[in-house]
Amino acid sequence: MSGPAALGVLEGERPVPACERAEVLVSRPLSDRYRLLRFRSPVIAERARAGQFVMLAPVTESGPVLPRPMAIYTRDAAAGVVDIVYGVVGAGTTALSAVAAGETVVVTGPLGRGFAIHDDTERVLLLGRGVGICAMTTVAQDLADTPVRVAAVLSGRHDASIIGADVLRACRADVRRVTDADGTSGVPAVRERLHRAFDVDPPQQILTSGSERLTRLAAQLAARWRATAQVSIEAHMACGLGYCHGCAAGDGDGTREAPLVCRDGPVFRLRT
Amino acid sequence: MTTRIVDAPRGREPATPSRPPADLRVELGGLALANPVMPASGCFGPELADLMPVDVLGAVVTKTVFATARPGNRTHRITEVSHGMLNSVGIPSQGAAEFRRSGLGGYAALGAPVVVSIGGLSTAEYWRVADELAGAGHAALEVNVSCPNLERGGATLDTDPRAMSEVVAGVVARSSTPVLVKLSPQLQTIGDAAKAAADAGASAVTVCNSFPGLAVNPARREPELGNGTGGVSGPAVKPLALRLVWLAAQAVDIPVVGCGGIRSAADVAEFLVAGATAVQVGTATFAQPALMARIVAELPALAARLGVDRLADLIATLTTRPKEQP
Repeated sequence: MSGPAALGVLEGERPVPACERAEVLVSRPLSDRYRLLRFRSPVIAERARAGQFVMLAPVTESGPVLPRPMAIYTRDAAAGVVDIVYGVVGAGTTALSAVAAGETVVVTGPLGRGFAIHDDTERVLLLGRGVGICAMTTVAQDLADTPVRVAAVLSGRHDASIIGADVLRACRADVRRVTDADGTSGVPAVRERLHRAFDVDPPQQILTSGSERLTRLAAQLAARWRATAQVSIEAHMACGLGYCHGCAAGDGDGTREAPLVCRDGPVFRLRT
Repeated sequence: MTTRIVDAPRGREPATPSRPPADLRVELGGLALANPVMPASGCFGPELADLMPVDVLGAVVTKTVFATARPGNRTHRITEVSHGMLNSVGIPSQGAAEFRRSGLGGYAALGAPVVVSIGGLSTAEYWRVADELAGAGHAALEVNVSCPNLERGGATLDTDPRAMSEVVAGVVARSSTPVLVKLSPQLQTIGDAAKAAADAGASAVTVCNSFPGLAVNPARREPELGNGTGGVSGPAVKPLALRLVWLAAQAVDIPVVGCGGIRSAADVAEFLVAGATAVQVGTATFAQPALMARIVAELPALAARLGVDRLADLIATLTTRPKEQP
């Protein structure tokens, strides 16, 4: 997404991950483009911090070789379950869509560094597009029972392709939808709308995922409002832990490797 | 009934005596391993200790260490291909001195013998890495001779047996531990390369590194990987690697470490029968991080199923000789 120069590595502890064969409880379409998969993992549900991800692979002899990184959409520590959302785009996700409830998947997680919400933050703005929204829903989960106000702009091709609105509303977030179909998702229109809505009482933190254009907008808005911005980015991965070095977030600086999305991210500080 | 049980002799053998647990130990050119399973370089890190008991492995193998720090290749670095993966990570390295200072300890703490993979873009670089690591406490070195060699126009070192011999002999002279040499699969004559490594003093050869490959994105008219081509690994290459192991094992007297698409105990048996003394597991760990420990746990049952008391008795036992000459 953004070049390495724009990304800063966040501080903070990462919980110890677990690897297990987890029972699939739900596997169904969530919208016209995306599917939801719920699996049982009390350990991951309890440990996962907002913005973390799991590596997930179906248990098949002839299926895909590599696991796929999946943002944690929601987790319920009391019920011991984790939801992820994915689009069926290639062989890996096609194989995943064939896994039925009652079957198992190999899951490793929670992985990576999630979003960091500052102690003095009173208002958070989420800017997400498509499946990228699913990387930020856990932030709203964490803030649901706090005084922090959460506003979200959800962008998609059309109304039916926007996901996460119900989860965010259930977490008391103020949700605005913008779509390509009704012409409201263009960056100038979104920018104008956000200026009007938040210039008087701006958020202290802007979190974004799923769109390079929205990432640039997040940086601009952060500068305007003297806020900080964090971005969750996607990458091809193999190990998810850092040892394979497959997911560098850029091309490095000649001797040093760029941060790894799996180990140092997937959430990075966006330098503004 | 009660009386008979009380009267039963203590410690009596069961009516149908079971075999004692199989002996899993193998000997790798002076390196005694508790069992033949170790990771392939680049497909393992101390991070995996959170997810599996690492001390059950025969050995652990580090990512290839170069003399100086290097950032690795452009992104994208990995992609899935048919029954395998293609990678061109480009081996980022912190450099040998820094690895010795801050990297090696993480492997040494895992409780299994540590094999340090070393690389170089020139003969002198390999030797420098070996010098930097002298006396560092590792159990063995594995020389990655599949690196592009800048003195030979970017060709990999093992395409020139004389050049490879020079590198290996120099590393052996600088090292007090066994030296393994990991060969690339693109050689016309893997047997000659294995012989050259053995003659230069190698204790064992690892066969083989990933296979050169290309993935194409037709919409963009571009390779999928930032570096263009990469190395194919995973189940797709298993029969290719098995053949090379079989050829190499016939060409040399030193042990062969088999590597290529292994993802089960049954796969381990195939490599041992074809001539390998030990095996490396690579790509399969990505989808199943605890796989190597599971394979080790399954080895006794595997030995029993194949009717051997010592797993090493499987090595090079292929009876119907394929017609191809090494």
